[in-house]
Amino acid sequence: MTSITTSGVTLNIKSCRTKFAHRFVRSLLQIRNHGPPSSSSSSEEKLIQRRRQRIKIAAYSSMAHAVGPRMNWSRALLFKLRNRACRHRKKKRVVVIRRRTKKASRSSQGSVPVDQAKKLRRLVPGAKSMDLCSLLEETAHYITCLSTQIKVMQALADHLSK
Amino acid sequence: MNRALPEMLNCMNAPGTFLAGNCTDMTVLERQRARMKWHQHEHNDPIQLHQQQQGYNFSGNELSGVFSVPIPTGQSQAQGFMGLVCGDSEVKPDPCSENRWAELGYGSCGLVVNNNGAAGFEEMINGHNNNSNISRTFSCPPTVAAEKKSNDAVLSQKINSPAGKESFKKRKADKVQSSKAVAAEDDSTEKRMKGCAEEGDSKITEQTSTKNNTNNDRESSGDTSKDNSKASEVQKPDYIHVRARRGQATDSHSLAERVRREKISERMKYLQDLVPGCNKITGKAGMLDEIINYVQSLQRQVEFLSMKLAAVNPRLDFNIDDLFAKEMFPACAANFQTIGMSSDMTNSAYVQFNPAQQMVSSCGLDMGINSSDLALRRTISAPVSIPETFLDTSCFTQAPPTAIWDADLQNLFNVEFHQGRTTPFQSQPFTGSIEASNLKMEM
Repeated sequence: MTSITTSGVTLNIKSCRTKFAHRFVRSLLQIRNHGPPSSSSSSEEKLIQRRRQRIKIAAYSSMAHAVGPRMNWSRALLFKLRNRACRHRKKKRVVVIRRRTKKASRSSQGSVPVDQAKKLRRLVPGAKSMDLCSLLEETAHYITCLSTQIKVMQALADHLSK
Repeated sequence: MNRALPEMLNCMNAPGTFLAGNCTDMTVLERQRARMKWHQHEHNDPIQLHQQQQGYNFSGNELSGVFSVPIPTGQSQAQGFMGLVCGDSEVKPDPCSENRWAELGYGSCGLVVNNNGAAGFEEMINGHNNNSNISRTFSCPPTVAAEKKSNDAVLSQKINSPAGKESFKKRKADKVQSSKAVAAEDDSTEKRMKGCAEEGDSKITEQTSTKNNTNNDRESSGDTSKDNSKASEVQKPDYIHVRARRGQATDSHSLAERVRREKISERMKYLQDLVPGCNKITGKAGMLDEIINYVQSLQRQVEFLSMKLAAVNPRLDFNIDDLFAKEMFPACAANFQTIGMSSDMTNSAYVQFNPAQQMVSSCGLDMGINSSDLALRRTISAPVSIPETFLDTSCFTQAPPTAIWDADLQNLFNVEFHQGRTTPFQSQPFTGSIEASNLKMEM
């Protein structure tokens, strides 16, 4: 099982990277074209902050789209991004749900220390209620995807800042 | 694969309307290929090149390749193809093959294709004959080399043909249903084949096929032929075999716990490879700490880079033209499959290629063999007057962005399919522009 998934990860990196690059560049263009209209009223710093947030979200979402729904973290990320607008509206309810899931995820994990696992669960999206095996698998995939994402973003930043 | 199919079907609509069902499609195409192989000694190099490629790609490429090949060779091929199609309708009433298709379904596709391919040979030579003449038909081609190639082709057909059509699930189901029927049928075919075993090279195919048959007889449970055994290698068993060593607990709970621990340690090892600086640390707690730190640092890096991009972004408004040129290149560089290639290199390469396009197209074959550079192919296929390639090359000529991305995404999703699509272009330096127009009509 692991061999298949790990080899799948290694094999699909290239296609992931290209997909991510295309999506990310497309969303960057969109952000630039449909930028905030109130550029004159708000200060420069705020504008950059907002744009940064948008770019970050675009990067994550395009990565999740590139990976597709087969991994748990990308599914969770997509779900989260899709429901972002709803969550702004109903903040309280979501917080309650979160607490419940936290309680449900508390289970003994044997040899591996629980605290670290909990921390890792907080970092990897969608890993809140997962057993340790799949948590580690998801973490591995997430790390590879993040590193490819960073590579692409770095390349883009280098090109644009020239 | 699925993307290749519609185009394939479009290709098939041109030659004849006989080709309705999946099975018939495959047989006709296999026969066409076999016939091409058989005529190989008459033709020149490009066709051989095509067929070699076809032999080792998956069948979606093969099929498109097959239908693109007959165009330069002339009308006799097309007529022959029509004859083959008619031959297919003649074969259909033949009870033996009919039964086989019905009973075996997709499970024993390799063997059936073998027989039917041989039948295709027969029809070309003798008209209606029994299957017992297979060996003779195989010994028909004059040159040994060509024959060997045909044998190879048959083998590769065995491997490729079922994978081209159906998903693995379907095949599995069919396998389970019809494994016994397969064994019985293969017995009979084996006897027939043994009965008329004759000459040198034809024996090779027979040996391989009899090997397959004996394998079938032995393993009546699952694997029907070579390709199916290959498929069973891919599919994993549902259970995990656990053995307790001496002194270890054997009750189910502790066994499951051991399996889980093994899994965890495996993944830990994999993560250890991923995370830099994690090799020195022993102990799972420390490793997990390191992993957490690494993930956090990666996320922070993403934040930082998005900040950088946001700071850079306003500058883009001033040089939109530059932006297009600049932003295409990382994507194209990603296509190049060589990670270390910097954008300057691609930039200069683009500058070099653009004036030298005509030269590149004149020596298109040499460049076309270098299959890793898809972007190069795009530039190669630019002078050829086919609209799809223009879409691809529009990457460099600053067309509206949506078209660019669609074209690039096409390249992305099926790289191999793209290769299959570009195979006709390679033959065009030999044939000229008239064949290009023909190709358009066929497409």
